[in-house]
Amino acid sequence: MAKFITIGERLSTTAPAVNKAFTERDPEPILKRAKQQLDAGATYLDVNIGPAESDGEDLMKWAVQLLQSEFDNVPLALDTSNKKAIEAGISVYNRSKGKPIVNSADAAGRIENIDLAAANDAIVIALCNGEGIAKDNDERMGYCQMLLERGLEHGMEAEDLWFDPLFLVVKGMQDKQMQILECIKMFSDMGLNSTGGLSNNSNGMPKHIRPIMDSAMVAMAMMQGLTSAIVNPNDLRLMETIKSCDILKNNTLYADSYLEL
Amino acid sequence: MPFTAKSGKFNASIKTVTVGTGDKAITLGGENVLPFYTFDAPIENAPKVGIEITDFGMENEPECVKKYYEGCTTLADIAKKAASFEGVDFLCFRMEGGDPNGANKSTEELMAALKEVAEAVDCPLVVAGSKNAEKDAELLSKAAEAVQGKNAIILAAREENYKTVGAAAGLAYNQIVGAESSVDINLAKQLNVLLTQLGVNASSIAMNVGTAAAGYGYEYVASTMQRVKAAALSQNDTQLQMPIITPVASEVWGVKEAVTTEADMPEWGCQERRGVDMEVQTAAADLACGSNAVILKHPTSVATISKMIKELV
Repeated sequence: MAKFITIGERLSTTAPAVNKAFTERDPEPILKRAKQQLDAGATYLDVNIGPAESDGEDLMKWAVQLLQSEFDNVPLALDTSNKKAIEAGISVYNRSKGKPIVNSADAAGRIENIDLAAANDAIVIALCNGEGIAKDNDERMGYCQMLLERGLEHGMEAEDLWFDPLFLVVKGMQDKQMQILECIKMFSDMGLNSTGGLSNNSNGMPKHIRPIMDSAMVAMAMMQGLTSAIVNPNDLRLMETIKSCDILKNNTLYADSYLEL
Repeated sequence: MPFTAKSGKFNASIKTVTVGTGDKAITLGGENVLPFYTFDAPIENAPKVGIEITDFGMENEPECVKKYYEGCTTLADIAKKAASFEGVDFLCFRMEGGDPNGANKSTEELMAALKEVAEAVDCPLVVAGSKNAEKDAELLSKAAEAVQGKNAIILAAREENYKTVGAAAGLAYNQIVGAESSVDINLAKQLNVLLTQLGVNASSIAMNVGTAAAGYGYEYVASTMQRVKAAALSQNDTQLQMPIITPVASEVWGVKEAVTTEADMPEWGCQERRGVDMEVQTAAADLACGSNAVILKHPTSVATISKMIKELV
């Protein structure tokens, strides 16, 4: 089995400092956050430029070139609802370290992002969700089939569709957590790759609790076969848990210094 | 439906390590397929074969090896002769006499011997220690200095002495650091991590992940090598992508099948035949399990293994 893939989530317009830097095309805060995440062991970096309706194409190109030139063609997830911005980002993207990830498609309004990924030989995060939150795993797996078929019809390899069960917040949807974990097992049994915004589960919890909940969630999800997650790589407890689970799953060979690698 | 063969080529590859200088320099590693799987992708650098001599000259060698060195009086003569045999890619000088539990030769004496050998040949050089970790810390550090500019493999840094040997060989004198672990995959990886954390360039490390003569716990050696190659190639484990060099002679020529004379055991037949068989079988298995270089002693073994490699790669 391949090593668990982490996608660093800290380059997002939801953070005011990042939003400001994107707007002003100020490289320094972007590069600083990128470096922190890569030093902590992130494989991919998510580049969330928000809806970026007016200047998305220009902004995504700028961000892709900035990050890849500074960090040896670091692989990126291009995260925006602006399809043209994703295409613009891919047009300047260097694939030597990994295909770009389109973040994301779903089974409702964003299903065409599957076609976009197929046309550009990209990976796509396929969110198994339609309108509103899926009520059970029958519904989720229905979306999964729909998205998978759409990808295959457009010539994608199944391995390039990374299925997202949509992690749900514990505070309010505690009774759904096992459903999500069972859904991951279903993806895994079908041989599919998976990912998701893992830290959704701990939304609204006190700051000191979140790394603990996220670590428990990632361990249980990896047991179920989760192959990737969008995470905060600067959460040391979480990253140590992922590395330890990779050892237990025999995804990486143990050495006494494994946490430093 | 037509059958489409799927290539077993990996997206990862073994690092290349160049040993020696000039025209005779050799390159180990570089492959992105399993050993000898040339049908999946070409193997650019075929495995290499070395010949081993020691500071004792011919003193402790079996008759069947001695006869090939007839007329050699000095270590320099022996080194030149060894390097001249068919199929030899590099020379390994083992400072066996340094062992405190053996002859316990002084570092000065052994450095003089090493320099004599190094000056006599222009082929790539491997310098091996006495197998005593404490003595080797000093011996191999001095050896790294003594053969400066030769781009030699210093065999080897171990868990007990990697700081001293690694710093001298890898940092101070720009040699290639051998990293020795005894049939322990986790330690093999850990030693590479420690050496790179020390500052040794990952492209200046060659691993000895363990060795044994066929029939003497060899299955552990085989599975270790296979697991190391699997991690390096299929899991893209950069800390295990160093090429593997395996000393065979020093193991094989110590077991009863190779050392018992025909006079003592007539029913076993010719001693030379037995020794060469053991050496060839062990080396062939090492190569099939992923060794990028083997170190042998008998000229017939060297020629045989070299021919095998040429026919397979």
